[in-house]
Amino acid sequence: MKIVYTDVLVIGGGLAGLRLAIGAKRRGHDALILSLVPAKRSHSKAAQGGMQASLGNVIKGQGDTEDVHFEDTVRGSDWGADQEVVRMFVNTAPKAVRELAAWGVPWSRVRKGDRDVIMNGQKVTITERDEAHGLIAQRDFGGTKKWRTCYAADGTGHSMINTVADQAIADSIPVHERKEALALIHDGSRCYGAVVRDLVSGEVSAYVATATAVCTGGAGRIYRNTTNAVICEGIGHALALETGVSALGNMEAVQFHPTGIFPAGILVTEGCRGDGGLLKDVDGHRFMPDYEPEKKELASRDVVSRRMEEHIKKGKGHKSRFGEHIWLDITQLGEKHIHTNLREVWDICHYFLGVDPVKDMIPVRPAQHYTMGGVRTDPSGQSPTLKGLFSAGEAACWDMHGFNRLGGNSVAETVVAGMIVGETVADYCDSLSNTPTVPIGLVREFVEREQAKLEAFTKGGGTEDASAIKGEMQDLMTAKVGIFRTGKDLEEAVDKLQKLLVRSRRIGLRSPQLGANPELVTAYRVQRMLRIALTVAYGAAVRTESRGAHFREDFPRRNDAEWLKRTLATWKGESDTLPTLAYEPLDVARMELPPGWRGYGAKDYIDHPDTPERQKAVEAIRAQHASDRFAMQKALMPYEHLLPEVLRGRNERIDERF
Amino acid sequence: MADNDSHRKLRIHALRYNPAKAGDTPRIQTYELEEAPGMTLFIALSEIREKQDPSLQFDFVCRAGICGSCGMMINGRPGLACRTVTKDLEADISLAPLPVFELIGDLSVNSGKWMRGMSEKLETWVHAQEKAIDLKRIEEPMDPALAEAVYELDRCIECGCCVASCGTARMRQDFVGAVGLNKIARFRLDPRDKRADADFYELVGDDNGVFGCMSLLACHDVCPKNLPLQTQIAFLRRKMVVQGTQG
Amino acid sequence: MDSTPNVIAGVGLADRPRKSRWPARMDLAQSLTGLALGLFMWGHMFFVSSILLGKDAMWTITKFFEGYFILGTAYPGIVSVVVATVFALVIVHAFLAMRKFPANYQQYRTFMGHRKLMAHEDTTLWWVQALTGFLLFFLAAVHLYQMMMHPGDIGPYQSGERIWSGGWGPLYIVMLLAVEFHGGIGLYRLAVKWGWFEGKDANASRKRLKTLKWVLTAFFLALGVATFVAYAKIGYQIRDQKGAVYTPSWVVPNPMEKAK
Repeated sequence: MKIVYTDVLVIGGGLAGLRLAIGAKRRGHDALILSLVPAKRSHSKAAQGGMQASLGNVIKGQGDTEDVHFEDTVRGSDWGADQEVVRMFVNTAPKAVRELAAWGVPWSRVRKGDRDVIMNGQKVTITERDEAHGLIAQRDFGGTKKWRTCYAADGTGHSMINTVADQAIADSIPVHERKEALALIHDGSRCYGAVVRDLVSGEVSAYVATATAVCTGGAGRIYRNTTNAVICEGIGHALALETGVSALGNMEAVQFHPTGIFPAGILVTEGCRGDGGLLKDVDGHRFMPDYEPEKKELASRDVVSRRMEEHIKKGKGHKSRFGEHIWLDITQLGEKHIHTNLREVWDICHYFLGVDPVKDMIPVRPAQHYTMGGVRTDPSGQSPTLKGLFSAGEAACWDMHGFNRLGGNSVAETVVAGMIVGETVADYCDSLSNTPTVPIGLVREFVEREQAKLEAFTKGGGTEDASAIKGEMQDLMTAKVGIFRTGKDLEEAVDKLQKLLVRSRRIGLRSPQLGANPELVTAYRVQRMLRIALTVAYGAAVRTESRGAHFREDFPRRNDAEWLKRTLATWKGESDTLPTLAYEPLDVARMELPPGWRGYGAKDYIDHPDTPERQKAVEAIRAQHASDRFAMQKALMPYEHLLPEVLRGRNERIDERF
Repeated sequence: MADNDSHRKLRIHALRYNPAKAGDTPRIQTYELEEAPGMTLFIALSEIREKQDPSLQFDFVCRAGICGSCGMMINGRPGLACRTVTKDLEADISLAPLPVFELIGDLSVNSGKWMRGMSEKLETWVHAQEKAIDLKRIEEPMDPALAEAVYELDRCIECGCCVASCGTARMRQDFVGAVGLNKIARFRLDPRDKRADADFYELVGDDNGVFGCMSLLACHDVCPKNLPLQTQIAFLRRKMVVQGTQG
Repeated sequence: MDSTPNVIAGVGLADRPRKSRWPARMDLAQSLTGLALGLFMWGHMFFVSSILLGKDAMWTITKFFEGYFILGTAYPGIVSVVVATVFALVIVHAFLAMRKFPANYQQYRTFMGHRKLMAHEDTTLWWVQALTGFLLFFLAAVHLYQMMMHPGDIGPYQSGERIWSGGWGPLYIVMLLAVEFHGGIGLYRLAVKWGWFEGKDANASRKRLKTLKWVLTAFFLALGVATFVAYAKIGYQIRDQKGAVYTPSWVVPNPMEKAK
């Protein structure tokens, strides 16, 4: 049995994993990254639009602070987020952008003087300040009060991961590419690393570590129509779930992005709408102001996606041979803007649709986009139930997105979480008491168990086709567990998914070899994906309210009285066909921003009994500290103690020097 | 989008070879499938793997032309399979793995390993003078046009098409290729990187670097991101010649 | 390339062996010699093709290069010096360019496969350039050596005789093709290699350069063939007068000679 030892085992080579590894390594701990693909090809790369951080450099971002970012994020989450974590996040985001700036990300910069922008369909001239010249620019994004999204043209994620991956190379952090973790090695209370399969040779080995971090991104591929890369199959989620000990939080919260190109599902950035693009129906009518007079196209993603589907249901979609869709019109932005700031969009339209967005409208329809749920961790990024297991980024639920994530908050989260959890992982490794005594017998047991599972596929004589089961699952999820959900659909989905899970235990292979074998990979992944799909569908079936991206037609109101709580799903037994659900209440009495109306979407919700009282207390504190926002914040909800020391402290701005 | 009702029968001739399998020899295998509207090679190959041959190896990640995983020889030229639309091609399509890179199997090559090696050799990261950055402070300003220019060169997706198309790289294993030279041009342009031409000369001032380039310009012609490789390599050559002859 | 700095015992990092400057010098020298030779060949072709304007024109140019109009007497030795210089440039250029050739059969096979598969114009053109360059190692050497040793043998009759009766015709015609392709492609490649005439749109200017290259190649080939034919014709006309030397038409014939 081959065993690789390291201090920190990072599963996933995207932005979160890379940044986490760099943090740990710079603190003197050996970090090793496992990645399905070369790190720079991770799905982080696909983040086109930008990264939210309240720098407030552009004139339309003037007055932006952590406070505004905090409120936008909590409202966006529909009060599902952990507000302490959101605070940690918004305070670290500017630091993250600035660190990346120093590391080499070519952030787009502010140019002083007048410039024309398209706002609300109109051309408007705005004047940038002299003192902002050359500082990092921000653009408008959905669900934000201020222009806050920092960007590198329309390849923000691309430039970020290039830079961070290169820093990891500079720090000599090994990335073991084309390796897949099959199981976490644990004894029910502590995690010792992972069983790993080499996707090229098929060799199974053990990686043993003091700390193991799951940074595997999202699970979009459990859906048919998704903007996610083909590797986003929720494998990290499944690793944690299959321990039976660590929980997945809020898996029913699945975001649909309004502008997936139709029918391929490839994302065109929110920047299209942020920069002034409009959504139009079959008649060429701009319909969003009819539904959302305030934020229009720039309401949060869950709201825009629902409005689009609602409009299509009214018969206002454009009918094509592949189905109905809405038009995204960016022609008014002009050729120059599209060719410089939205070039990836132009590329995608050109290569995949044969459409020139300078002249023609783009066919779009909402597609699965983001997994808000993930491996439940505390604010330090560690699993509360499995010691030594950490998680960061989209794979994690620490929980800053609640039931809906704001555009630009995901790439921001990857790096911020990487910075924070990198430090906490290093702290964890610093402590001698955390260094595990490795139970080699246990490691061997896990390796042999996984090998036996693989052999069951190649030699078990099963007859079910893995690809077919996967396809059925994806269709089911898109049809029944999509944007509009009903109890009936969800129950049907849960039932059928369970049957698929049972069938998946009889998968057989047409090409049964243990080496490089794409069919074998599909086979063992589809079982894991089914468990994740069931966690999503079952969680959605049980949650009889609408919150953020989780919208129940039969329960259209947000119900704080009963559902202001986080779903925690565990998978207790190997032969189970359903997860075990538990709920973790969110404490209104400790919230800085008590639940209320989001400012867009439905105004109708059921209050939590504690909300009025907390609201009153909050207002009193706000009045008392009206002159000092920092003191006010501290009195409302102290959080700084949760941050690693190096990341504490205020952020300087043009309007807030110190 | 144009709806195309005539469904052609596509014949995809793929190079099959598994170097890990003892006794396996390279061969061409032909798959027939019906063309669908808007079909890309990503869709076609996925369908082949799902319905005809689950053992066929290839790499896709983003399937949107931004990650650089799916570079392969399409009718003899390197390109990104995910954004190659079948209707732009003849009904007979030949696919082969990118040369130069280590073959994993069939159409899958280990370009990631090559790129990591290149990055390590050329030190493709910002070399700043001061180590600690005060993250609380306002960032260093940068000329907006310069930031755009750096981004322009930062758009490389390391797909390996330039390397596979390069006559020099085919003949000489240690040549850093257009991808490497473009990286050096990118960091040379970046004011945050404090390296001088003398430092860059140490990295690319030889026949494995910029002087190995024979200006065949296939890299420039096949680059899926239309990077200005011709201009950048010429620029770097001038700077390195100045450095090498005067410095 | 080795990324680890070479630290030899007792030698600090600052004194570590630096990368040689020779690659830069050689790269520049290869281009400069190529440029000089390319431009020389254009000039050469114009001078040689003066025969198309008549024997007198060609005679005048020949005598000009022998210093006749400045020094009052023709010194063919001057031509020898020029030829020797060109010969030296050719040797240096060939030596440097050889570095780029396939170094063994494996590389040769790889490149040939690559060229065929890619069907990429500039790649194919490079192969043409390499092949013609290889031919010129020999053709140019022979021609230059002959000219260097017998500089006086340049003139309407002598040159014509060399082609028609002297057995140089086949060599000249192959060399003409080789030089024009090699030089035309080479000059085009120099421009894209160093970024000359690039302007704002490198793709557009490259396209223009490519067109210009083909036009020039066609022009010089046409000129070369016409010139070759003109000399051959003269050679044919004087096929029986071995060693004839042309006398310009304006020189009054020697009365003595006329009397004969």
